[in-house]
Amino acid sequence: MIRYILGRIASIALTFTVVSVIVFLMMHAVPGGPFDGNDMPVSDAVKAKLNASLGLDQPLYVQYFKYMWGVLHFDFGIPFQSPGETTLQLLSRAWPPSLILGGAGVLIGAPLGILLGMAAALRRNSWIDYLASAFATLGLTIPVFVISMGLIMVFAVWLNWLPASGWGKPHAWILPITAYAAIPMATYARYTRSAMLDVLTKPFVTVLRAKGLSERRIIFQHVLRNAALPMVTVFLPMFIGTATGSIFVEAMFRVPGLGAYFVSSITLRDYSLEMALILMVTMMFCIAYLLSDIVYALLNPRIRVGGRS
Amino acid sequence: MPLLDIENLTVSFPQHEGVVQAVRGVSLSVAAGESVGIVGESGSGKSVTCMAVLRLLREPPARIAADKMELAGVNMLTASRAQLSASRGRVAAMVFQDPMTAFDPVFTIGHQIVETIRAHRKVSKSEARGEAANLLARVEIKTPEAILNSYPHQLSGGMLQRAMIAMALSCRPQILFADEPTTALDVTIQAQILQLIKDLQAEFGMGLIMVTHDLGVVAETVDRVVVMYGGRVMETAPVQDIFDAPAHPYTQALMASMPGRSAGKQRLVEIPGASPNPSNPPSGCPFHPRCAVAEARCAAQVPAFKSQSATRAAACWRLP
Amino acid sequence: MTPALELRNLCKTYHLRQSGGVFARHSDHLAVRDVSLILPKNQILGLVGESGSGKTTTGMMAMRLVEPSSGQILVGGYDITALGHAALKPFRRQMQVVFQDSYSALDPMMTLAQIVAEPLHIHGLGTAAEQAEQALDMLVKTGLDRSYGGRYPHELSGGQRQRVAIARALILRPAVLVADEPTSALDVSVKAQIINLLLDLQAEMGLSILFISHDLSVVRSLTDKVAVMFQGRIVEEAATETIFTDARHPYTRSLLQAIPVLNPRERRARRFLSRAEIEAATPRLSGYGVSTGKPELIQIAPDHRLEAILQ
Ligand SMILES: Nc1ncnc2c1ncn2[C@@H]1O[C@H](COP(=O)(O)OP(=O)(O)OP(=O)(O)O)[C@@H](O)[C@H]1O
Ligand SMILES: Nc1ncnc2c1ncn2[C@@H]1O[C@H](COP(=O)(O)OP(=O)(O)OP(=O)(O)O)[C@@H](O)[C@H]1O
Ligand SMILES: [Mg+2]
Ligand SMILES: [Mg+2]
Repeated sequence: MIRYILGRIASIALTFTVVSVIVFLMMHAVPGGPFDGNDMPVSDAVKAKLNASLGLDQPLYVQYFKYMWGVLHFDFGIPFQSPGETTLQLLSRAWPPSLILGGAGVLIGAPLGILLGMAAALRRNSWIDYLASAFATLGLTIPVFVISMGLIMVFAVWLNWLPASGWGKPHAWILPITAYAAIPMATYARYTRSAMLDVLTKPFVTVLRAKGLSERRIIFQHVLRNAALPMVTVFLPMFIGTATGSIFVEAMFRVPGLGAYFVSSITLRDYSLEMALILMVTMMFCIAYLLSDIVYALLNPRIRVGGRS
Repeated sequence: MPLLDIENLTVSFPQHEGVVQAVRGVSLSVAAGESVGIVGESGSGKSVTCMAVLRLLREPPARIAADKMELAGVNMLTASRAQLSASRGRVAAMVFQDPMTAFDPVFTIGHQIVETIRAHRKVSKSEARGEAANLLARVEIKTPEAILNSYPHQLSGGMLQRAMIAMALSCRPQILFADEPTTALDVTIQAQILQLIKDLQAEFGMGLIMVTHDLGVVAETVDRVVVMYGGRVMETAPVQDIFDAPAHPYTQALMASMPGRSAGKQRLVEIPGASPNPSNPPSGCPFHPRCAVAEARCAAQVPAFKSQSATRAAACWRLP
Repeated sequence: MTPALELRNLCKTYHLRQSGGVFARHSDHLAVRDVSLILPKNQILGLVGESGSGKTTTGMMAMRLVEPSSGQILVGGYDITALGHAALKPFRRQMQVVFQDSYSALDPMMTLAQIVAEPLHIHGLGTAAEQAEQALDMLVKTGLDRSYGGRYPHELSGGQRQRVAIARALILRPAVLVADEPTSALDVSVKAQIINLLLDLQAEMGLSILFISHDLSVVRSLTDKVAVMFQGRIVEEAATETIFTDARHPYTRSLLQAIPVLNPRERRARRFLSRAEIEAATPRLSGYGVSTGKPELIQIAPDHRLEAILQ
């Protein structure tokens, strides 16, 4: 197990390096630079001076190693679009709203989805199954900004119960969290349903019944535990995916979160911020997959204790 | 009163191509302490019959009907969920055909035996575990503690089969449905397990239904034999009579095809043809297309199940 | 003549984790010890023995489905022990296996005809229509009606599934078949059909079979030679009738003794030897060479090997 984890950590380091090189090269391969925009016309001389002061005139590999050297010391440079702070300060200011909303969305959506999926599997071909399937399909096919818009229309405009946008008062969080919860809920409902149905047709379930165990115990102890195995592997990555913000939800609800920066850092050629964001997300996904695999191995005796294949 | 009393049981599975009629009018009774062997072709409905009694088939799709289906006085056709859970494992336990898929892969063998014991009796975990270890020792497992701590995937088919037998016996059932309990075992262990089952029967007056293909197992363990074919009972007779003088042509063919009756590498006597298609069974006697002595009426009408003597009965037009 | 399959000094050690968790202790389990076997062309070799004695492991190693810890595997005289995946592919077609556990070996999403035709498909033999036709023929050969072609594995009884597994293994007309308890789930009449089928195929296309079974009655009607395994070792090997009439090893004898009688009148209480008693009763022989004080497999007759302690 320890060897396995060390191996995985090594492969994460490799992934991280490869991703950083590729992103760095691609970023600089896009024509133009931070001071080429039309809204801030500067003369070529000034531009050259600015570029030199930021080190942008140096060969790419020098820039790359300088940047990565900084990264190793938690120095992600200065974001061009907000030069008054470091990239790290910008992230620690903009990420919490995304983390709170997205995190809460997953933490609320996933359990609800699991319950819905369970109910659907246990009452197969009943109205609740059809409802759950319809819901899951809608949740996965309707774009999240349409969901957000619907929520705003109903709860803010017509019913006027909740603010349409803003950040600060917790009751303003309710609508964006709901919008965020839709995808994990739908995903989990589907996963749970099919995983449970898969387990329910296994011969060992019949054996459990034949032993006289109560249906409750069979479902909650045996079937769920078996069905949970494939599900744990999608939980953390989904959490990361949602908790790093969504440009759509945040734009709809005017949340000052991270989402917008993913786009602006690219359009503005904000190299430092762009690298920082991508490296951060890559790292978090790698760790999420590693943790998921470890949890999976711990839950699955076939891997945990080995033995016959 | 018999422990198990079934009259005219039918089980069918509706499917796209038609209805699979797995069991078509089976009557069967088992008294306390009695052991009954069910033999017959693969697909003749032996397992489905056992599963139907314990209501272990998924309904729907399965459809179960019977004039009577009583287990220790409980009407299993109308039993509530709670009644079913109370009967299963405790009144009637079952050893399943395929040991490799019978255990939950994420729990240890010990956990699964202990939970069975504790589902029916108020005993502490450690007591139940002690009992489980004793049971494993009785099914000739040399290292019970190690097996209790093992997960199913760590054990061979033979080990799992024995663990399953131990699990089935863990609540001292009044009747044991043993569906091919020894197919995964080598003959030595098989002989020991059969001996154990016989001992337990003598000790507790346990009824036994032994489903098997192995006529040797039948010869060793049961008092009475029920021969099934195509979802119907063809013949029932005391075990000695089945071996000495099988009455039904199917039983006769079955006995003739038994391997190992004589020395040397040799072709065996086959029953020509294939098992009936369960969703489109032949008319009349289900065995008539393969029967060497079939007559016109065999295809036309289902022969009644008639007694030849106080202890024997068969369904064949050619028998008195 | 080169044998169809030859195993030389095969050993298999399983590394077992003692307890779960991150800091697991390891222990080694010697499942197969120094097994040498020869399966001559066009013959059937029975492999019998107690549960857990390593029969399945030996069969799987012969098929290169489990890697041996040491030893060699020769198929038709070629050493395939170290061949890589690609080099092994032509041999895979010649060697097929029928497993003990047919339920998990059949893809639940495929119809029986598709399952049986799949090996043809994998090796690109024939058009789809020909493949389907051959598959249905094979199903009939193994005793299933053609109408079963469109059904799915879960709709079948245990024995019916086993017939499908056999049909699938035989459809490529392999040279070597490892059959791991292929008839143990079958009823007597189908068992007879399968045994006759295996005998026919053996005669018809020179099939050589390593037949692993618990069922000594079947072994007696089917095999030419029998090897008896006990605790991972071969303790006796001889022509089938020799084993049944002149067994020398105490384990072989206890095995024969345990065969169920075929007449209820002959029921008897049996006494079973424990492993220790069997080990203690290992035959002692003199006149076959120098004593090592340890049990070893000795050629006691041209066609008879026996584990004994030389004196
Ligand atoms: N993958 C594995 N990991 C660990 N141990 C194993 C593994 N496969 C088999 N073993 C062990 O190796 C020994 C031989 O197993 P094998 O399955 O070959 O026996 P077998 O003779 O086929 O038994 P059976 O008659 O019950 O099928 C057993 O003790 C078994 O527990
Ligand atoms: N769930 C199911 N759906 C459809 N058909 C089924 C189902 N279960 C069983 N059958 C059919 O019912 C018939 C009887 O099956 P059963 O399992 O009782 O046979 P069996 O006598 O136990 O055979 P074996 O000796 O091979 O175990 C078979 O034709 C089988 O295909
Ligand atoms: Mg069955
Ligand atoms: Mg085996």
